Amino acid sequence: MGQLEQLIVPGRFDRLTEIAVFVTQAARAAGLNDDEVFHVEMAVDEACSNIIEHAYAVQSGDINLACTCSTTGQLEIVIRDSGQPFDPVEVPPPNTDAPADLDQLSEGGLGLYFMRKLMDDVRFEFVPGQGNTLTMIKRAKIE
Amino acid sequence: MNVLQESLPGQVYRIAPQGRLDAVTVPALERVLDEQLAARHFRLIIDLSEVAYISSSGLRALLRARRQAQSGGGDVALCAMSERVTEVFEMIGFNTLFRIFVTPAEAATALAKTVPA
Repeated sequence: MGQLEQLIVPGRFDRLTEIAVFVTQAARAAGLNDDEVFHVEMAVDEACSNIIEHAYAVQSGDINLACTCSTTGQLEIVIRDSGQPFDPVEVPPPNTDAPADLDQLSEGGLGLYFMRKLMDDVRFEFVPGQGNTLTMIKRAKIE
Repeated sequence: MNVLQESLPGQVYRIAPQGRLDAVTVPALERVLDEQLAARHFRLIIDLSEVAYISSSGLRALLRARRQAQSGGGDVALCAMSERVTEVFEMIGFNTLFRIFVTPAEAATALAKTVPA
């Protein structure tokens, strides 16, 4: 286990910049390079945008981010919310062979596509009474 | 978000958003695009020189504007994309979908040749 950093903010769009600064710092502390830091920033931005838009569409709540930096060049980000359950199986993947039609896709679908593309591991879990937990891992490339 | 607008020769309009294009700021860009399209300005350059970051909500806004501009006989051309924005475009195949130029002048020349419907 490495160092743990935590940020809890209200699930609102005007907090996305604060979230981006937080995860960018954590990604740098984990030893990720500039490209990897950018990938983490975008994946977390998409994840939190989805939470605000969908999980907290009806009732508001906090977003709880916990970053664990390991000494082996790995960043684990756990994002929790207490909103509506999210099941990735219900979100159709975008047809990247027909990019002109991608705006017809649900908002979450495109964001989920980027999260999976940008991160090494993406896992969702919903526990009734506790909410959604999203765990994403980014590993530094061995150079 | 600040969005600059400029009228160019040949009924071409340059729109330059400044800052991050994410779920917070995209509505401001969409308002400008909607106003331009409602005024039947269908030859639009979106100058991304001041955009360091674009999320899926920004991509969607560009795609919607492109569809509406093309319906009106015009098109949306993009220019001055940073390496990061280019990387995001390539991930989803937008680099082959949009007409992308290095400078606004090159984009304007290409758009001025677009025949209105």
